Amino acid sequence: MFKPLTQKSWAGIGAALALALVLPLITRDPYVMHVMVLVMIFAIFASAWNLVTGFGGLKTFGHHAFFGLGAYGSALLALNLGLSPWITLWLGGLIAAAAGLLIGTPILRIRSMPHVAIVTLGFAEIVRICIANFSGLTRGEMGLWGIPQFEGFTLPGIGKVTFSPADKVSFYYLALALLVLMMVVIVRLMRSKTGLAMLAMRDGEDAAESLGVNLTRMKLMVFGLSAFIVGVAGAFYAHYLLILTPASAVGVDLMISIIAMVLVGGLGTFAGPLVGALVLTVLIELMRDLENYRLLGYGLLIVLIVMFLPRGLVTLRERLFPRPQE
Amino acid sequence: MNLAIFIEQILNGLITGSMYALIGSGIALVYGTMKVLNLAHGEFYMLGGYFTWYLAVSLGINPAIAIPAAVAIAFCLGMLIQKLTVEYLILRDNWAFTTIAATMGLSIILQNAALLVFGANFNTVPSYVSGVMVLGDIRISWQRVLIFVVALATIGFMTWLLKYTRLGWSIRATSQDRDAAQVVGIPVKRVYMICFGLAAALGALAAAMLAPINAINPWSGMPVLLKGFVVVVLGGLGSFPGAIIGGLLLGVVEAVGVQLTSSEWRDVISFTLMIAVIWWRPWGLFGKK
Amino acid sequence: MATEPTPKLMLDVQNVNVIYGNYQVLWDVSMQANAGQVMAVLGPNGSGKSTILKAIMGLTPVRSGKVIFEGEDITNRPAHEMIERGISMVLERRRLFTGMTVYENVMLGAYHKSVQKYAKERLEWVESLFPILKERRDQVAGKMSGGEQQMVAIARALMSKPKMLLMDEPYLGLTPRIVGQIAEIIHKVNAEGIAVIFNEQNVKLSFGISNYGYLLESGRVMLNGTGEEMMNSDVIRRVYLGE
Repeated sequence: MFKPLTQKSWAGIGAALALALVLPLITRDPYVMHVMVLVMIFAIFASAWNLVTGFGGLKTFGHHAFFGLGAYGSALLALNLGLSPWITLWLGGLIAAAAGLLIGTPILRIRSMPHVAIVTLGFAEIVRICIANFSGLTRGEMGLWGIPQFEGFTLPGIGKVTFSPADKVSFYYLALALLVLMMVVIVRLMRSKTGLAMLAMRDGEDAAESLGVNLTRMKLMVFGLSAFIVGVAGAFYAHYLLILTPASAVGVDLMISIIAMVLVGGLGTFAGPLVGALVLTVLIELMRDLENYRLLGYGLLIVLIVMFLPRGLVTLRERLFPRPQE
Repeated sequence: MNLAIFIEQILNGLITGSMYALIGSGIALVYGTMKVLNLAHGEFYMLGGYFTWYLAVSLGINPAIAIPAAVAIAFCLGMLIQKLTVEYLILRDNWAFTTIAATMGLSIILQNAALLVFGANFNTVPSYVSGVMVLGDIRISWQRVLIFVVALATIGFMTWLLKYTRLGWSIRATSQDRDAAQVVGIPVKRVYMICFGLAAALGALAAAMLAPINAINPWSGMPVLLKGFVVVVLGGLGSFPGAIIGGLLLGVVEAVGVQLTSSEWRDVISFTLMIAVIWWRPWGLFGKK
Repeated sequence: MATEPTPKLMLDVQNVNVIYGNYQVLWDVSMQANAGQVMAVLGPNGSGKSTILKAIMGLTPVRSGKVIFEGEDITNRPAHEMIERGISMVLERRRLFTGMTVYENVMLGAYHKSVQKYAKERLEWVESLFPILKERRDQVAGKMSGGEQQMVAIARALMSKPKMLLMDEPYLGLTPRIVGQIAEIIHKVNAEGIAVIFNEQNVKLSFGISNYGYLLESGRVMLNGTGEEMMNSDVIRRVYLGE
């Protein structure tokens, strides 16, 4: 994790980024663009969940709460206060972060993984029910629609950039920018001293404590950051799809998809959540006719991966061609 | 609000709570013996409901036979699932997380399998007994009385099983010290399997008893699972008696809470209570640190 | 000491290797234990002296090598099969079922089907060996003192009518007076014809009661022989007795 990036990994990152940048030049097909925007939203969500669960070792199962809070928070602020989505995007993240700090405080005192799982699941359920019940504000199960869109702007040299459901390319680049930004934050954090302390915390709390790491503050900070990132992803989702329901934005199905993606890609790796989001989202889209089997497939995948490939796809090569043991 | 209605609500809370107790005690039994948090526990409830519905309604079998049969099927299914998945995972490093993730996956599989097999309809089972018990101003349907009686009988049976039978001794010994249990010759793996089966059976029994009141659908497991979690947090994770008391307590708290607010806040009340308890006494209301 | 004229080989451990994750705990360990004798496994902390007992009992997987008991291969068989074959074990730090009563703890020692039928007669026997068990039948085991708990643990292990008793650090954390009592109990157990294998750090303490022993260091057998031979060996004198 702290070894400097090799030339090979720089080359890999560069190639992936270049491919992502030129994709709209190859095809502007709205359907392809739509799938790729979803991939990137999920990739941000998955990376943030991986930050606490894979790197931080805090196994939470309720991050969909933050996605929903970011989505509804941003949408409602833009709708009711007339703020620009460009601002509420970040406010949505801050609302999620505040909630993250709130729920983080009790769970950080607990070292028992089952308790953490229970509290986070329960908290997400509280958020979902509250959003459904405060129907005067959120329109409950009817769904919140009429969410303001991102305003267009003029980019020197390129021309007018507009965000409309008809043209998804601008959403694509915005999602890509957000993904790159969040990845830079996560990677820089993990390669800093704080990141080292986090891994120490994951691998042995007592050891980290004796290193003089302030566990509670560290965990809280990581939890809040992760919630913020997920909240921003949720806010973007709201202003992209322009309609929200409690089930689509805070449903436990969403969390399960994310868990499946991270586990498939590889828990505790940088590339894992990205690979997982790409593979699963594209796979599901390719098998659209089998929509009824989508969740069944996710469930099977989670079980099979956990049982037979516990470290995910990104370690598959190592599993197939193991390096000789020293 | 008059007093009779209030007492009626408390009694109804106790009756609902007795079902929470059955569900929570299954989670406690599995956690107590193998330290596995079973996220698929709600699905045993859901499937138990379907088995009962299928046997009693579709096949028209007398509920007195259909319910035990449904419970027995759930028991076998629980053992099978444990054998196929959890048994391998608990032997590995990182088992605490992998068992949670795998049982979450299992829960999705069972949910969607039920959706494919039984469809998305809400199915109900006719009441097993009809009429209303009247005690002065208090009126409670005999169906609810039956639920409570069955719950008490089951709790009594489980207590006897744990305290006085060979199997019960081996379950208690395994939950207190797995290595020591192995050393005295207890086949720990078999105990795990039976505990998973018993937990599934308890969940299925709760579903069978509630089937005339709560419609069965593929998604009925998740809310029940979360309620079960509240119960075990109140009673202390892994404690069987704790789960019984926690279940009854939750039933009453919800009944009072719903009186003060409205029924759509029922779940928020119980989850908030749970988080408060974890904050204040993570080892449960009755357990020791 | 109940020494037979020609000791009969009971347990034969052949080139056993045990690996935890990436860490090898035992390296080609071989040892032989005879029927009716007391054997000591010596070694410092982390030498693998607990692991070898656990490997024999089937509590720790053996990566390679064999464990032969009375001529039959028992490598990597589950612990409940050992009980059936006549091996019983007292775990390190007693490991009682602390929430259960003394009676329940002891009776659990006769849990296995093959030994259930002896439960009554064995109970009488262990209660005569440890009168305190009868006095405290209904006490919760977790509330007893360390020495008392050790007695319950030994009684529990004796309930299954073993031919061989494995004891993992029986003296750990006990006062010298209690250590004396436990040593006496080991004598009594051995006098019944039960072979005993125990492990211990303290060399002098061990040879007081054992016929022979093995010395482990970093997972390898360094030395073996009778108590006398070992006490006179250079390694032991230099390293353990500080002479």
